[in-house]
Amino acid sequence: MTEEIQGWQASWLRIRAVARRHAYVLQRAPQRWFDVVFWPIVDTILFGALGVQLARASDGGHAAIGALLAGILLFHVVFQAEISLSTGFMEETWDRNLLNLLVTPLRESEYIGGVVLFGLGKLAMAITTVSIVAFALFAFHVTDFGPALIPLVAVLLVIGWSVGLIVIGLILRVGQGAEILAWGLLAIVMPLSGVFYAVNALPGSLQPVARLLPTTRVFAAGRTVLAGHALPWGQLAWAVAGTLVVAAVAVLWLRQSLAVFRARGFISRHV
Amino acid sequence: MGPILRARGLVKRYPRTVAVAGVDLSVDPGERVGLLGPNGAGKTTTLMMLLGVVTPDAGTVEVAGFSLPRHRSDAARHVGFAAGYLPLPERLRVREFLTMFGRLYGLADPSRAVALGLDRFGISDLADNMGTELSSGQRTLVGIIKATLHRPALLVLDEPTASLDPDVAMRVRTGLERLCADEGTALLVTSHDMLEVERLCERVVFISHGVVVADGEPGEVASRFGVEGLEEVFLHLAAERERQRAGGTA
Repeated sequence: MTEEIQGWQASWLRIRAVARRHAYVLQRAPQRWFDVVFWPIVDTILFGALGVQLARASDGGHAAIGALLAGILLFHVVFQAEISLSTGFMEETWDRNLLNLLVTPLRESEYIGGVVLFGLGKLAMAITTVSIVAFALFAFHVTDFGPALIPLVAVLLVIGWSVGLIVIGLILRVGQGAEILAWGLLAIVMPLSGVFYAVNALPGSLQPVARLLPTTRVFAAGRTVLAGHALPWGQLAWAVAGTLVVAAVAVLWLRQSLAVFRARGFISRHV
Repeated sequence: MGPILRARGLVKRYPRTVAVAGVDLSVDPGERVGLLGPNGAGKTTTLMMLLGVVTPDAGTVEVAGFSLPRHRSDAARHVGFAAGYLPLPERLRVREFLTMFGRLYGLADPSRAVALGLDRFGISDLADNMGTELSSGQRTLVGIIKATLHRPALLVLDEPTASLDPDVAMRVRTGLERLCADEGTALLVTSHDMLEVERLCERVVFISHGVVVADGEPGEVASRFGVEGLEEVFLHLAAERERQRAGGTA
């Protein structure tokens, strides 16, 4: 007789099953390694070289290189968190596996938990890649952030997952046409968040919007730390508060989207 | 002991059509029921509501005593679902796919259930094949094994033998008969193959225009329509539907 477990143990088992399913996909789909290795390498070389060029032109020393590389490293935290969640879900729609999952005891939160768990592994690989390339080619030490890196990464992770939930909600409502937003939403957030520059470098009309984004505060805090100052806890507190609002909105949006998906019978788009 | 599945007054409206207009359906433990009707009759929408994938506009569904949608996850532990039209995920081997679903159904170590299922349907040799390497018949068998790993009290199958060769269809049917006999599993199956339904099911429920128009033993239902077999009942309902459609567009 096969043992059937229940309660939190069953829940943890389901979360791991989802994570393992996505690990198989990564293992067998060479194109998935672009997100994890290829783009991190390309971005690090691109922004590192740009930093070197700027440093030479302005006699700015190593600061410009550090600011650009720190920006791209932190941006990859948001990007990897978001992209692993949204492409994880898209994998189910591409494989027409959504109906198979929806008829099992798997809860929505468990599915998200499984993809997030797998995404943490991808994130570790991508950040390690950026760190190694930045160190090997541009002598940039990720350890220059010190312990401040932990809260900065934690906030960016939650933002990335929140954007991922918003994208999943859009796909549930609109269908696969919304997939482009998995990449597109962050392309909007990136310039507005001052990943590589202070907010006052943006056009005046965009600055109020940029200041509202929690990501802006995190990137600014990262630059402050790299400049040798203490972590600006005030900035971080604003970032945490903003992130909690974004996360709550994302969860509500996803729940509503799921309700619409079930009410309108949108599963027919995915079988 | 009450029914394993009980649905009352199910209604589903879409913007331009009423897919299901008030379906009552119950399945007793171990009972084998065929849910039949012409294309567009509302069979799949009904199944989706019974499985908690589509929310009904009205009506109630209870599976193994758990009401939907509130207790969907608990209810799903007692149900298995497979459909002939669902592919297998591209980058998983058969064994990995089955193991994953065994775990989703709460089996701490599904390896024994996977081996038993593959053996029951005679495809143990395919365990290490990728899902994409299988024929449509083999995929259907794997889908049914997936749906039965956790020994559900109710197995729901949507067109399990659609577009299968007669020999593979027979293998599916034989495997299902063995499963129902061994485990006492109740079966709710949709199919367009009336011969298959007559062989497999002890009760049939015909749906037309989103409502139940007949419910009973196959022979009894056929005689109610004044015909010989289920095939003719089906044709009668399909013709009636065409007549109404033509009248509606005239």
